[in-house]
Amino acid sequence: MGGHVTLSAPYTVEFPFDRTVGPKIGAFLGGLRDGNLYGVRASDGTVLCPALEFDPRTAEETGELVPLGDHGTVRAWTWVPSRAGDAIPHDFAWALIEIDGTTGALFHAVDTGGDMARMVIGMRVSARWRSERVGDIRDIECFEPA
Amino acid sequence: MTEPQPVSSITSPFRMDYTYVAGVGRSVFLRGLAERRLLARRCPSCAQVYLPPPEFCSRCLTELEEPVELSGNGVVSTFCVVNFPFPGQTFEPPYVVAHIQIDGAATRLMHLVREVEPGEVHIGMAVEPVWSTEREASMNSIRHFRPSHA
Repeated sequence: MGGHVTLSAPYTVEFPFDRTVGPKIGAFLGGLRDGNLYGVRASDGTVLCPALEFDPRTAEETGELVPLGDHGTVRAWTWVPSRAGDAIPHDFAWALIEIDGTTGALFHAVDTGGDMARMVIGMRVSARWRSERVGDIRDIECFEPA
Repeated sequence: MTEPQPVSSITSPFRMDYTYVAGVGRSVFLRGLAERRLLARRCPSCAQVYLPPPEFCSRCLTELEEPVELSGNGVVSTFCVVNFPFPGQTFEPPYVVAHIQIDGAATRLMHLVREVEPGEVHIGMAVEPVWSTEREASMNSIRHFRPSHA
């Protein structure tokens, strides 16, 4: 039977999804295209960033758009090796970043120049914007120590 | 405040590269396909016959018996007519994908049923394999199934 060596083969699954977004997330993404971060007002008065269409606690529609700054605080992180297609060419962190003036966390990459020892919970970071922006979360290339 | 011009849609492509590892049991089946043979294996404990066969019985975890060749004739146990176009589609819709129970096996293979109008395919229809001219250790070794002429 050709021995007991197992066969293997490379495969790729690929789906070219387009995703429609609601008015709040749409405005959030439009803000990214302009190089500005926005949050939305939740029913208890706090600000959510990234923006959501509905308040995760009350399921009510979220309120007004709130302009935010570029700075935030790392609340959690994990260190990963850089892969083909990643924005950062060396090892970096994926992190939950609490943007100043908001509750919750934005999930994004943090570039410390490949040095894991610089990553710490509570570290201050700021957004590194791409020069060419299209209205996508990748308009922020990554965050970096502030 | 001037609100930003909202975005209405984003591209969100998904791509994953991976390696399929057939395992020892499935490799026996796949190598059989390269020789135009459908190799089934029976469980010595519960008598279940698997096609394609794994190495161990999924019901009682007993190692399966030596492979046995089946004729390849079978029946459609269920099917669907694919009418929906999608990226990367190999065949032009409408076409039929069926679960086929090969005579002598208790499990089913999924494959195309062609050389018949989709509207004429039915559960219980007798089918036979049409082998590809390419001999490879892959399901592509069977081009499709068709109504059996026997």
